[in-house]
Order: sequence, then C-alpha cells, then structure tokens
Amino acid sequence: MSRPPPDPLYILRGSGAPVNTLHFYCGGDGPPLLYSGSGKGAVHVWNLNTRRAEQVLESHNSNSVIWLDTFDGSRSSLISQGRDMRLCLWDLSEGRSAVTDSLLTGAVGFCQCSLLESQPGSSLLAHPTQDMEEVSVVEMKSWTQVCSLRPDTKLGMLMSMKMWQADSGPVLCAGYEDGSIVLWDVSQRHPLSFLKPLPEPVMCLDVHVCSQKGISGSSEKILQSWTVDGQRTLQMHHSVQMTNPGVSQMRIRADGKILATAGWDNNIRVFGWKKLKPLAVLQHHTDAVNSVAFSDHQDPTQRLLAAGSKDQRISVWSIYSES
Amino acid sequence: MAISNITWRMAERQIEDPKIAFAYLRPSCVLLTKEPTIVNVKTLSGHLRGVSDGALQQLQDYILFPLRFVLKTPGSKQESLISSVMEAMTYVLKNTCVQSWESLRDLFSELCLCLCSPKDPGKPGAASEELKLSVLGCMEALLHSAYGDIIFRLYEPCMLPGLGAAVSLFLALAENEKAREVKMASLKCLLMLCLQCDCEEEHVEPQKDERTLLGNALATFLPGVSRALSLVISGDLRQGHAVTSKAMKVWYKTVGTVMADEQCEETKSKRADNGEELIVKRTPLWRKTTSKRLALVLRKIISCTSAHPHWRVRLELVNLSHHLLSQCSQSIGECVGPLLEALVGAINDEEPEVKNRCSAALEDVAQKGQSSCGQDFTDVLSENLHSLASSLPRLMRTSDDHRKLFVLNVFLGYLKILGPKVNLVLTSAVHLERISKALMQVMELDVSDVKIIEGRALMASADFGHDLYPIPSQKKHFQHFTDDRVCTALGKICRMLGHYGSLYLLVDCFMELYKESSVYRKQAAMVLNEIIAGAAGVGVEMEMHKFKTNHEDLESLILSVVEEYISLSNWHLTTVSEANTESTASSREPICLQLHPVSKPPPLHQLNSNIWQICIQLEGIGGFAWALGTNFQPFLMRCLYPVLEKAGDESLLISQAAFKAMCDFCTACEYSSPKELVIKNSDYLLNDVSLNLARPSVHPHAPRVLSVMFTHSDASLLPLVADVVQDVLTELDLSYDQRTPPFCSVLHSLMKALVRWFPTSTGHQKSPGEETKKESCVSLRQFLLDYQKQKDLAEGIGVEEEDLDEMDIPPAVSDPDEDMEGPAVQKELPLRVQIAKDVMERCIHLLSDPSLRTRLKVLEILELSVYMLRDDEEELLPMVHRCWPALLQRLTNDDPLAVPPAFKLLCVLGDSCGDFLRKRVSKEVLPRLTASLVKQAEISARSGPAYIHTLAYKLQLAVLQGLGPLCVRLDLMDVDLDLVSDACVPYLSSRQPIKLQEACLSVFRSLMEQDPDLCWFTLNELYSPAPLHPPHPLLRPLEISRSDNRNQFSDNVQALLKQLDHEDPEDSYDQHLGTNST
Repeated sequence: MSRPPPDPLYILRGSGAPVNTLHFYCGGDGPPLLYSGSGKGAVHVWNLNTRRAEQVLESHNSNSVIWLDTFDGSRSSLISQGRDMRLCLWDLSEGRSAVTDSLLTGAVGFCQCSLLESQPGSSLLAHPTQDMEEVSVVEMKSWTQVCSLRPDTKLGMLMSMKMWQADSGPVLCAGYEDGSIVLWDVSQRHPLSFLKPLPEPVMCLDVHVCSQKGISGSSEKILQSWTVDGQRTLQMHHSVQMTNPGVSQMRIRADGKILATAGWDNNIRVFGWKKLKPLAVLQHHTDAVNSVAFSDHQDPTQRLLAAGSKDQRISVWSIYSES
Repeated sequence: MAISNITWRMAERQIEDPKIAFAYLRPSCVLLTKEPTIVNVKTLSGHLRGVSDGALQQLQDYILFPLRFVLKTPGSKQESLISSVMEAMTYVLKNTCVQSWESLRDLFSELCLCLCSPKDPGKPGAASEELKLSVLGCMEALLHSAYGDIIFRLYEPCMLPGLGAAVSLFLALAENEKAREVKMASLKCLLMLCLQCDCEEEHVEPQKDERTLLGNALATFLPGVSRALSLVISGDLRQGHAVTSKAMKVWYKTVGTVMADEQCEETKSKRADNGEELIVKRTPLWRKTTSKRLALVLRKIISCTSAHPHWRVRLELVNLSHHLLSQCSQSIGECVGPLLEALVGAINDEEPEVKNRCSAALEDVAQKGQSSCGQDFTDVLSENLHSLASSLPRLMRTSDDHRKLFVLNVFLGYLKILGPKVNLVLTSAVHLERISKALMQVMELDVSDVKIIEGRALMASADFGHDLYPIPSQKKHFQHFTDDRVCTALGKICRMLGHYGSLYLLVDCFMELYKESSVYRKQAAMVLNEIIAGAAGVGVEMEMHKFKTNHEDLESLILSVVEEYISLSNWHLTTVSEANTESTASSREPICLQLHPVSKPPPLHQLNSNIWQICIQLEGIGGFAWALGTNFQPFLMRCLYPVLEKAGDESLLISQAAFKAMCDFCTACEYSSPKELVIKNSDYLLNDVSLNLARPSVHPHAPRVLSVMFTHSDASLLPLVADVVQDVLTELDLSYDQRTPPFCSVLHSLMKALVRWFPTSTGHQKSPGEETKKESCVSLRQFLLDYQKQKDLAEGIGVEEEDLDEMDIPPAVSDPDEDMEGPAVQKELPLRVQIAKDVMERCIHLLSDPSLRTRLKVLEILELSVYMLRDDEEELLPMVHRCWPALLQRLTNDDPLAVPPAFKLLCVLGDSCGDFLRKRVSKEVLPRLTASLVKQAEISARSGPAYIHTLAYKLQLAVLQGLGPLCVRLDLMDVDLDLVSDACVPYLSSRQPIKLQEACLSVFRSLMEQDPDLCWFTLNELYSPAPLHPPHPLLRPLEISRSDNRNQFSDNVQALLKQLDHEDPEDSYDQHLGTNST
C-alpha cells in the first residue's frame, strides 16, 4: 500500500498577491533562497533557513511578474520579466535592490523567457516579442540580437519555450497556440522538427536534456511527452491522463526522476518521469497553482519542491528526496 | 600585686650584665633551695623578669637548678608549688635555649615524671588538670628551646624507652583526659615530638638523615599513635573541633614522617647500623602490612570526619589527604583510593576555604599524578568512579541525605579531577552503563502525589505578561531523597559529564535509555537536559579548563533531542483521565479516545508521570535555548508551536513549565516578553497551525494555539491571520459535527481580538445610547417646534430653504466615486469586515447546534461579529436577516440557559440595527417574552429565598434588565409598550424578589423615556398616593380607576412617580397645556 501524500513542509505566506513564478537558488555561500514573483509586481526573496522574506523588490510598475531567474551563477544577479513588457536585471548584492538594466520586449503575452548560460560569463536569452509568434534570442550583456525565430506556417501565439545547449549548439523548443511544438536550431535559425501532440494551446513545456525527452501540457487533461531523437526530430512518447484539466507549469527534477505539475485544480501532481506513472497528488492550495519549482541544493536530502498559487501562498514540500 | 608591679617596672629596664643579674638573682635562688615554698618560687620568678634574655641564657643552669631541685626533693609536694615551679621554668625555657644534651635529657625525663603516675611511667598520674596543663606547657617550652643539634639525640635508639614513655603519656592524656586544654596541650607536645609543630616560633628543620632518624624512632610508636589518635578523632563531638583537627594533624604528620616515600630506599642501606632491639626495621614487608593497617585507620578517620559539621575538621581532612598523597603515596598504596575519595569529596564543600584549599590540593595532586604516574592515577580515579557508581543506587536508598550529598559530591569531584580524561572512562561500555544506570535509578521521580494532576490552570490560555517575570522552577519530588541540594548535586554531575565527556557518546547513550523504557524516560530526559546545558557551559564552574563543545555539533545534537521530545508519541501524552475530561470539557473526549483506543482510564501515577515527562521536556527545551542563545532562533520554527500548545494545557504544572520555557526563549533570543515572542514569530506558528488544523486527530490542539495567538497578537498580523482564518473556516466546514467546540473557541478569540484590534468600531457602540438620551431630554417645546416643521415640510412649505441648508452636505460628492467603479465590480471589503462576515455566516449554522455549550459560544461570537459589522450596515443587515430565524428559536424555544445570552444578543442587535428589527421583535419576540414574564411573575411572587438560585429567576432577571434599553433602542411604540408595561407591572409588587423589582424599575424608567404619559397612567392605575387635581379649573378631572389604598405596589410606584415628576417639570407641562389651550 502506498503511503498517504505528505503535508507541505511549510508554507510561505505574505506575498499579498497571487504567486506567478518561482525560482530556487541554493548555491554559493549563505542560506538557500527562493525567489517568487507576484501578481502585483513584487519579487520576494525568501530565506529558506528562516522561512522568511529577506527582501521584497517592487518592480515592473506593479504589473504582474511572470518569470524570474538568476544569472552569472550568483545569488545577487536576478532577471525578472513583467507584464509591463519589460525585462529587468537586478543587482541584489550587499542588500542592494537596484535595477541595473532593462529591456523593453514589447511582448504582451504570458510566454516566459528562457535563459541559457552557453559559456561562463555569456548568456543567451530567448524572449517573446511584440510580434506574437516570434522568438528573439539576444546576448545578455549587450542585448544584441543573435537571431529571430519565426515559424513559416501560422501556428498562433507563442505560448512557452525552453532553450538548452545541445552538442551542435543552442536549441530552442517552443510551444504555440495551436498546440504544435517546434524544435529550433538557434545558430542555424531554422526549425528542426514539428510536432502537434494536442489541439489545444501549449500552456507549458519542459525538456530534460539528459534523457532527450520533453513534455507539454495544455488546458486539457492530457500530458504528452515526446523525445528528441538522434536526427533531432520530435517523436511522440508517453502520455498520461489527469483527473482534472489544465496545467499552468511543469518541471522535471534535475535528476530526471520525477515530474511535477501545477494544476488548475489547486493540486500539484507528481509523476515518475520515466513512464509518467502518477505518484502523488499534493493537496494544499485553495486556488489554482501557478508555478512549481525544484530546488538545486547540493545535498539531495535537502532538495525541495515549491509551488506558488493564486491563493497567495507558496507551499514547500520535501518529496522523494531520500532516494 | 606587688610582684606584678615590680615586674612591670623592671620590664622597662632589664638587667643586661650577667654579673649584676647573678647578684640580683642569687638571693632568691639560694632561698628557694633552702626553703622550697610557693612564695620563694614566686619571688624568684618575679626577679627573673627583671633580667634580660642574654643574661638569662648565661645563668640558665644556675637558675634552673633550684627549680629542678624543688621537683627532685622526695616526698609529696603541693600541687600549687609544682605549678609555680613549672611557670618559672616555662618562663626561663621560653626565653633561653637548651644547649646541652644532658640538661635536655634530664629536664625531659623530670617533666615526664611529673606527669606520670609513680608506679607506671607510661600512665598519667592523678594530678589536677591545671598541674598537667602547666607541666605540658613547660614540656612544650623545653622542646621548643632545645638546640637543633641536640634535639635529634632524643631519637637515638638508646632514648627510645624514655621517648616511648613520653609518647604513650601524651597519647593517654589526649585520649582520656576530660579537659579540652589538656588534650590540646598534649597533642601539641606530640606534634612537637614529631618536629612538625605548627606554631609561629622558629623550628628546627630536620635534614634528610635526621628525618630518617626521626622516621625510625616514630615508626616504633606508630601503632600506638594510630590507635590512640583514631580514638580521639572518632571521639565525642563535644570535645570540640580543635581537638579533632589537631589529633588528625598529629596523626598525618606522624604517618607522613614514618611512611615518607623518600625514606624507602634509605632504610635498606642503613639497616645494618642499628642493632637495637626496640627499633622497627622498615622493610618493604613491614611497609606493606603497615599500609594495610593504616588504610583501616584511615577509613575510620575519613568516615567520621568527611561529613563533620565543623569546616575546620573538613579542612584538616583535606590537608591530611594532600599531605599523605604528596608525601607517601607510594608506600601507602592501599590508602590512595580512600585519600582521593576524601579529597574529592571536599571539592564541593559549602565552606569556600575548604573548597579552595581542596581544589588547590587536587590540582597539585593531579599534576603530580600526571607527571609521574598519570596512567595509574587515572586508573585509580576511574576505578573509584566505577565502584562509586555501582554503589550509588544502594547508598541513595539507604543512607541519610547528608551522606547522599557527600557521596554525590565525591562523584562530582572525580569528574572534576578527571576533566577531559573522563572520556577514557566513558568509552568503556561497562563504565558508561554503570554510570547511566546509576543516574537513572537515583533520579527516579516520585509521581504518586495527587496534587500533580489536580493542579489546574485557571485560564485555558496562559496570560503572557508584558515583562519576563521569574517563575520558580517546579519542585520535583524524588523517590530516594528530599534534600534540594542532592538534586542540585545531581544536576552538577550531569553538567560536568556533558562538559567534559564526549557529547555524542553521552547523548546517544541517554537517548537510548529514553527510548528504551518509560521507566527511564523522565530521568533520561533530565540527564539529557543537564548534559547539554553542561556542554554549552551553562552552570558549570570553569576555573581550570576552558573547554568548549563545537557549536555545530551542539546544534545538531540539540536538534535531534528536540525532535525526539516533540515527536508525537512523547509529546501528546494523556494527562487527564477521561472522567475528568468529561466534566471539564466534553469536547476533548473524542480526542482522548482517538489517542488511546483502549478506553480504560490510565492509572493516576501514569498520568502524573506523563505530566512530569512533559514538564521535564519543556524544561529541557527551555534549557537548550539558554545553551544556544541567539542561535536558538531557527529552533523556534520547530519548538515554538509545541511549547505554545502546552502553554494552554489544563494542567497547571505543564502550563507553567511551558510558560517558563517561553520566557527562556525570550531571554535566549532577546525578546522582551513572551508576547513579543509570539508576535514576532507568528509566521512560524501560523504555519504549524494551518498544517495541523488539517490533521485534527493527530494535532487536536491547533485551535487552542490559534486562540492563544489571537489573544496576544495585534492588528499588524491581520493579513497573515486572515490567511489562516480561511483554513479554520474550511476545516470547520469539512467537519461540523465533531470539531465544532474547539473551532468555536477559536472563532470566539478571533472575534474578540478583532474587536480589540479595531476599537473605533467598538467606540461607536455607545453613541446610539447617548443619542437616545439626548432625544429624551429634548423639551416639549422643541418637540412641538419640530413637529410643526415636519408638518410644514410635508405640506411643501419652506422646501427651498431646506435645499439650501443641505448644499454643503457631502453625500453628493461620494456618489460619483461609487459610479466610477461601476456596478459590476463588487467593492473589496476590508479584511476585518470580510472575516467577521465569514465567521457570522458559519455561526448562523451553528446557532442551531444540538450542543447547548456550542450554542452559548456562538451567541457570544455573534455578538462580537455584530460589533465588527456595526459600521457596514449593508453587510450587517443581510446577515442579521439570515440570522433571525435561528436567533428567534433561541429566544423562544431553547434551554433556559440559552435565553439570557440570546436576549443579550438581541439587545446588541437592537442597538446596532435599530428599527430594522423593530417589527420582528414586536411581532415575534415580545408577545412570547411578555407572556412568559407574566406567567413567571406569579411563581416568583410566591417563592422563598431559594428561588433566586433557579434558572427561571435568572431568566426573568436577564429579560427585565434588557427589556428597558431594548425598548428604547428599537424605539417601540404604543401597543408594544403596553405589552411590556403590562408584563412588568406584576414585578413592581413588593412580594417579588428585590432584584427583580429593581430590574423592573429600570424597565419603567426606560418606558418613561419612551412614553411618559403611558407610564403615568399605568402607574396611577396601580396606586396613586395623592388625589389628582386638574392643573387648570377649565380642565375636566381625570376619571381613572385609581386606588389610593396602600398595596403591594405602593412603594415602587411612588418612587417611579416621583422620578416622573422630577423629569417632567411643571413648567413644560404647563406649557404643553398652554399651547393646547391656545
């Protein structure tokens, strides 16, 4: 008999608005941190040792923050994407909270950016643009555009994307409004492969680079995983049915063992990544879950799962971390 | 007198020249030789004082001769004569030196002869105490004055018989004599004979050879000395501490001289020289047997002095141990153990001097031990420790508290000397096991006291003062001892263990015991608490070793201990028997049943034991906070919730302990008060609360903690609290049937807190009453003017004026604002209003709960919610509307207990909603209430004094008290007022209980405000004291059925009428009539 699903380890309260996005940072000296972006433009920096917000950044003119990431491998370099069509770079070192640079993308959608540290010190950033279908890849330091990726056929609005470094160079996987997924070769600027697993818009996707496998979710009950084979073409793989429709985000844990989804039905679902076997339904939130994130703590026993929800709470879980 | 005068004068100018001195002294010497009388002796000694020391020295033999001659003359002499001779000799000897061996020997033997009985030279004679004293004094003076080179001849083998006689003489005196001074003097002489005198004069310092000589001589007497002195030492306490300690000194000096390590080898080489029969050959064999015998004597000495009431004796014991350990630890191998024990036992002496001396001695001994034979020394110590640990439980059971304290101090002392080396002992599994088990047995608690469980906290939630006030730690009752100092000593032992021992090893060992059996659990927890405190250096006197445990280790160990303490099975223990539970709080019953599937109530001692276990664990957690200081902050995440949970425990002991732990947290983490602690860490608390709310079966106390939090936090917490309130409400919705009571109390405290946090709305509460009051004061004239104005307005006169007047009234301005938002967007309510509304909604359902207790609580909550919503009528009125049917049921068809609070709620509602309720009240409530009042009036009128204890009475009283204000606030008119006044009239009767009469009077006063005319009529109908005359002849006289006979209503009616007249002055009445007539 399987064990009952666990309770959250703790709840982080006080964001004061729906939590849209989460990002862990556990490296370096100092306590592990969790960055959260709220629907009212606040970015909270949570100290996971004290379980309290160390710092609250007011950003993006109180517009929703939809994406956060750290860059340069530092806890104090933060990039945020807001619904004011801007990207902001933050310097948080020594208690500062200053915006050092910003970029007007002109994108009005909900598509989150994707950051790729190709070489130490130089990063590529893929962001949506004013043109709803286009992905623009820029070099982080100078904002110089590396390429602009636009599908030839009409696929609708860009919904989500993920960029990673393949053997041949940076690759970007993008999901579109009509449900199709396109694998782009960033350096060649041409699409490598098309796949249309579902007819509904691709709400979210994630790719596990080591296993060459990705997964996408939509407003439907089905999660569809696909593989990227040697010829860099996308192939349908497993699929799994959920009880309730709608996924806002999903994340594969770095070790490639489990997948967590943020459901519109207020639940977090955990699946085995290999065969998409449903493992657990984590119930706590009282409103739709917007975001999930796995921590990258060096000590596997301290790795956590965090989920941010529309009910303004962030729940932190410790699951399957002993293995 | 004359002599002393001369002495005094002569003392100023002593005769220096020996010749003159000789001439001066000669006559008296000669005289004395011829006539040995007291007078002559005194004359001589008087003259002696006139001669300088130098002259005396030269004339020593000459002067001593007549004196000795007196002693030598055969025949019996007067004691006083001998005494005065002794005095004179003592004077001479004190001021001169004995330079010739012959005179020393002769004087020595002559003095001995004076002491001993004529037949047996080894036994003291039957002289008076004074005489003995003076002889002994002289002997002492003689020994002091002997020259260094001649004194050692005393110890030559040929002198042994004489010396032996003297020694046995002194010993016999010390042993058998009654007078303390004689005992002291003889002991002093003995000490002098050992050449170990401790007085301030100059002494001969024996060289090595001489020491050997001395040792050889004294060895002969050792058995006798030991026997006699041990008898003296163990003698009656009344002999005084000085004798005991002096005897000890003599003994150990003798032993130290005889058994000195340095003389071990010497004796071997010199053995051949001494051919005397009497001399003892100090062979290794002899040493061995002697050491065994000495060990026996030593044990006896230690046993009767180690716990001696006088500290000087204990100090002497320390000196003894130190002296012997440093002088002859090798030759008296058997004694080292007991000596160390004695030394160690004194390390924690109450007397600082003993303590200091002891620690100095120990340090010295430890250094010597470490430098020469460290391993042996540690071995001896650990062996001692082991045997002590083995015998500890037995000793703790059998001996008295004083002895127990001593034993424990010894234990502590060993640990102190071992210091960091204690680990060597602890790493041996046998030793550790022995020690831990011994502690477990010794620290067993006595849990049979009924008071433990009977101590009930007065308030469910402890009141956290604003300041940290010291709380006395709870007194534990142990099975094996009662003295607090024993407990303190045990604590010190554990701390010392923790301080020096390997913390991992110890914590591991005691955690094992903690888990092993519930029998050991409490003791193990106590030990763990102390060990950790000790490891952190709390309560350990660290003079010699600065020894700190690694902080990270400490934290991780504390974490594991805390985890164990607050784990479900060790934290949620039954502390109340089911029988109790039912009577105190019916709500708790199902919880207990869930925790204990077997419904058999646990025996009393088990409950007591549980209570103590929790207390000890709480104490421990508090102690850990002390140990970590500000580093404890992260632990609050785990500890604060469980501790707060216990702070609300019904058991007094537990709640006190928890409160103390919280105070410890405050001190450690630098909060000014528990209140601040709760407020500053409310996020942690709320986290646990919200998680635990979802698991009611495991964590039944989450609501309680939440209530406590509400009670103590302030409005700044509202956003956080609101979040959890949603959890509470959700949880309540999920399980209305079982979990209502705890949640009701949460909601109650929540609403109470809200009312407290937003006092503006409560401040508003009084204004309606004031307004009505003002209205009532408005004069008749004003009323008529207003009436006229209203009438004019209704007819359309002066409308323009009104418009102008209202131009500057703001409502018109606020309107556009609302329009801007648009009708579709619902206004976002302030959090507090939203919460109050949500709570009220739940209460509507709960108002019909089958449990009376719940209904009562809900009525209170509703009352508070109404206060909160008072300002937002558009929210309040719909809620009241929904509430009404259930409330009506409470008012009309419920248990008599529920009616008064329901009525109170009605009054509050009337206050807040006013006319919104008027119709409902007059239609649905008033008829029933008044009917029941009328019905009850007959009963209460006929009742005896016991009636005031009945429910019916209380109900009557509550209704009568509330009815008046209600009428005013709801602005009831005509028929309703009639109803009320009719129902109340019976209560004006003097036959009613006095309180009911008073309450009824208050109703009538309210009615007077509302409708004075009606009141007047009603009252006059009952009784009118004076005939009614129309105020104006033109008016027709009133025709009412008035009765002017005194009756049961007279008193009250009269009082009311008087008040009515007073409030309605004549002139306004006249005016009224006047306007009417015109």
